[in-house]
Amino acid sequence: MIELINVSKSYPNGIGALYNINLHIGKEEFVFLVGSSGAGKTTLLKLLYREEKPNEGKVVVDRVNIAELDLTQVPYLRRNIGVVFQDFKLLSRMTVYENVAFALRVTGAPRSTIRRKAMQALELVGMLRRVNAFPDELSGGEKQRVCIARAIVNNPPILLADEPTGNLDPSTTWDILQLLDKINKRNTTVVIATHNKNIVDEMKKRVVELDGGRLVRDQQLGMYHVQ
Amino acid sequence: MAGAWSATSNWGCTMFSSIEFFIIEAIRSFRRSPLMNFVAIATITVSLAIFGVFLLLIINMGNVVGNVSSRLDLAAYTQKDLSLDDAAAIQIRLSKIPGVEKVVYISKAEAWKKLKDDFGEKLSLDLIINDNPLPHTFTIQVRNPDLLSDVAKQVAKVEAVDEVRYSGKLINQMKSLVSAVRVGGISLIVLLSLATLLIVVNTIRLTVIARETDIYIMKLVGATNNFVKWPFIIEGILIGVIGGVSSAFILKFSYEAVAARMMVALPFLPIITDFGLLTLIYILVVIGGTALGMLGGYISVSKVLKNEA
Repeated sequence: MIELINVSKSYPNGIGALYNINLHIGKEEFVFLVGSSGAGKTTLLKLLYREEKPNEGKVVVDRVNIAELDLTQVPYLRRNIGVVFQDFKLLSRMTVYENVAFALRVTGAPRSTIRRKAMQALELVGMLRRVNAFPDELSGGEKQRVCIARAIVNNPPILLADEPTGNLDPSTTWDILQLLDKINKRNTTVVIATHNKNIVDEMKKRVVELDGGRLVRDQQLGMYHVQ
Repeated sequence: MAGAWSATSNWGCTMFSSIEFFIIEAIRSFRRSPLMNFVAIATITVSLAIFGVFLLLIINMGNVVGNVSSRLDLAAYTQKDLSLDDAAAIQIRLSKIPGVEKVVYISKAEAWKKLKDDFGEKLSLDLIINDNPLPHTFTIQVRNPDLLSDVAKQVAKVEAVDEVRYSGKLINQMKSLVSAVRVGGISLIVLLSLATLLIVVNTIRLTVIARETDIYIMKLVGATNNFVKWPFIIEGILIGVIGGVSSAFILKFSYEAVAARMMVALPFLPIITDFGLLTLIYILVVIGGTALGMLGGYISVSKVLKNEA
């Protein structure tokens, strides 16, 4: 599903972010990407939805090297990769329903399909009661649920989450984790970047650790720290 | 390009289900900055009104020139003694010159009699001048005013003719005045259109900048550049249409008022009142406004989107 081959990335200001990363993530896997701040977790995720391009190497998503993807094709890639952000990135002028519907609208789906799928996604994340609220009226946990609903509304084969619980309290964090696990069990590959030790240790999934832009550990049923 | 997601876009479908969304977005954005939009609309209104004024001026001046020159004719004079047969022969020769429509002969005596009749009782010309000083006159109507100078040359070649007169100079002066107004008007319109475009671009650019985060998010969830652009283009069209329509109304009412006064003050001037032609000009003004607005919207959003994925 996802393969990084000899990937290196440095930013124009000369700061290196990733060095010679090789990583394979299979279909329907659940992977934690761990490491301290600045280890390169966010950069790695950005490479996967083509917000960034690698300087070297191949980034293969669903058999296509997206490092060389034409700009006009990027929107179609992104419709097939759901992304959950730490800061939610909801459109503040739109209601909860409109935010989720937007991800369908851009695909040109007919109105009836938009309505049905948006409501299904909002039901899955437990936000049906707040469909007409604006993002500013929601709690952090609620915003993250809306963000997740928007990320999965197109039924993408891949869901990426960058510190999805970074702004949430512990009990809400647990709810969101349960939700992501549920989505993974519905045949979606899930990659979560986090530096939250508790959730990694609790979930016991595959753990990929970055340190200073290098891949230092790749372990099945791993913990946050090497045991 | 073999991945399952690399589906091609479904354009027709996108367009139809999204138009409503684009329009709602455009109106929302339009409402958010009423002052800037008002400035842009006012600018479009004023520049289109000036465009319209020049258009009306050029068309009316062209009409006057055409009207005057179509009434112009040549006169050929001779002091030679002509018998009636001589006069008839000259008349036939003149008629055969290419471009000549009609030749009318007025004899020396007729002209003298007519002049004396014009003065009537007030003054007896016979008391002042014994001899009839007037020439024989051939009035020549030309088929097309552009042929005037050519015909005049041909007429001058006829032996009996002493002198040829026509108002070619006046026509040429009027024509050069019309073309000066046309050149001046077009330059002014081009400059004004550029200035207007710049103001529309900047007005919508402010909206685009205010919504840069939104645009970024929209693109993260898979919106194409076109999808992001449309609301801004529609906002530009909205500004342009409102400006164009206001301008057309201002032009219509001021032209009607000015035309009515001109017709009283200068009744000999042929002012254009043709409903169809005037309506066409007003429609042109509205189309001009729409095009300016649309182009402005397109440019302002394209600059922001140019280099981003």
